[in-house]
Amino acid sequence: MIHQKNPITKSPNLSIKIGSLVLKNPVLLASGTCGYGAELDGLLDLDQVGGIIVKGISIKPRPGNPPPRLVETPCGLLNSIGLENVGIESFLRDKLPWLRNAKTSLIVNILGNSVEEYAEIAKKLDGAEGVKAIEVNISCPNVKAGGIAFGTDPEAAAYVTHAVKKATDLPVIIKLTPNVTDITKVARKVASAGADAISLINTLLGMAIDIKSRRPALANVFGGLSGPAIKPIALRMVWQVVRAVDIPVIGVGGISTPDDALEFLMAGARAVEIGTATLVRPGTAKDVLTGIRDYMEAYSIKNIEDLRLPE
Amino acid sequence: MPKFDIPARILEQTQLAHGIFLLTIKAPAILDSANPGQFCMLEVKYNNSRDPLLRRPLSIYKTGANGHISFLYKEVGKGTHLLSKRRPGEIVRVLGPLGQGFRLIYDRPCILVGGGLGIAPLLLLAERIKQSGKLIILIGAGNASEIPTIEDFSRLTRYFHVATEDGSLGQRGMVTDLLAQTLQEITGLAQIYTCGPWPMMKAVYYMACKKNILCQVSLEATMACGIGLCLGCAVPKSDNRGFLHVCQEGPVFDADQVNWEYTQ
Repeated sequence: MIHQKNPITKSPNLSIKIGSLVLKNPVLLASGTCGYGAELDGLLDLDQVGGIIVKGISIKPRPGNPPPRLVETPCGLLNSIGLENVGIESFLRDKLPWLRNAKTSLIVNILGNSVEEYAEIAKKLDGAEGVKAIEVNISCPNVKAGGIAFGTDPEAAAYVTHAVKKATDLPVIIKLTPNVTDITKVARKVASAGADAISLINTLLGMAIDIKSRRPALANVFGGLSGPAIKPIALRMVWQVVRAVDIPVIGVGGISTPDDALEFLMAGARAVEIGTATLVRPGTAKDVLTGIRDYMEAYSIKNIEDLRLPE
Repeated sequence: MPKFDIPARILEQTQLAHGIFLLTIKAPAILDSANPGQFCMLEVKYNNSRDPLLRRPLSIYKTGANGHISFLYKEVGKGTHLLSKRRPGEIVRVLGPLGQGFRLIYDRPCILVGGGLGIAPLLLLAERIKQSGKLIILIGAGNASEIPTIEDFSRLTRYFHVATEDGSLGQRGMVTDLLAQTLQEITGLAQIYTCGPWPMMKAVYYMACKKNILCQVSLEATMACGIGLCLGCAVPKSDNRGFLHVCQEGPVFDADQVNWEYTQ
């Protein structure tokens, strides 16, 4: 006779849905901190994460900003990479084949200088085998044209959302910037324009000055602040947006431990993205996932959604 | 090329001179796939502290039996200060081996030019070249105390010269003075490998150009990840069409790939 496993030890259900997209767990790798996936080979088993959101892709390759591009700040990192990327053609030709073999959901982050560019990239990704969803970056603080210009204006954000939705049948996630007075205004507009989900927050605009050289520490003067330092702000904004819209919200911003992730899930995030913490320790996402599972088992929580705090 | 992110036991932490330390860890997996010129990212924070957030990139200086890897480093800020406080027996998290090391060229005399602690990535290279070719080592520093491990190099070749700006060791002057003298005696092919402060490497490269000698440089940059995820460690290409990334395409480059006129 075969002894059945004690049902109390049954694993919690970690899978989640973002629009029509089913993810095997809620821990994703944030765009700009996981390259095109292959860079993590041997250091993080991509099969273990719920999804990978690859480096933001533009129509044409972008060389990025001149150095210095990085400054370490207390519990944080300022960057002005400037959306350096290989461009959509090279991505489809050179990066996508490797990513197709990874047993995780591939989400492609896109950016553009115009609404038309956003739509054009979305269209190119629409038929690309292996691409499961699109995350739209309307929130990069490091480039003059595009990016944040769309993210700070609710009407423009809605316009981009609408254009991308029209160009693709893939689920569309809009990534919001925290560099606004009231993030719920942009969130509501984006939701009513048809976004399948919202991810937030992108980096906070900041700067540092090198007092020895008496110059701004970044060549671009301003940069985006990420890392544990921004977590309380991200959490507050996620809480606000979760309560302002009816579509799934993905929390990102300074998450580096299971406890951090659990806070976002309790605030109502459907999933979380691990960003700067992957730069610090490539295996962070796996540890976060393990910690979430352990917590759910310890407290007999069956589904990710059950983590959300009651209103 | 396999990389590992592993906890490693500290075997030795020795202060060699003011602000200069030799750290030895046991990391057999990393050692087995490491080449001269590669580096590791070392976690400098304690336990769950999140400050300083980033690891510090350090060149592999020396390797030994039983998976011993040594790093020669200078205390330059908060991160390296914390690292210098770590003691034997403690565990430090290490990611490596990383980057592209030196490309070895055996068919000609090799001239290694190191400035200050820029000598760090050159020792393994010198040991490798010594096995099969003519090895010339030129080292420069402000004063003798900045290069406390000089004997690791001097015992490898009789073509060894040192210069200090204050004359406390070797010839008084710059390492580029030594290079000028050496290049006068070179008639055929040669290969230069250099690491040190940017202005020194730039001068070395321009001297190499004049003599049509190939030059490889090991560059340093502020890094967050060390593995090509963040693209933070950019250096302008010589044709100004985009950037090289020190962690992934480097830290060793052919010097003619780099825009040496770029000032930050």
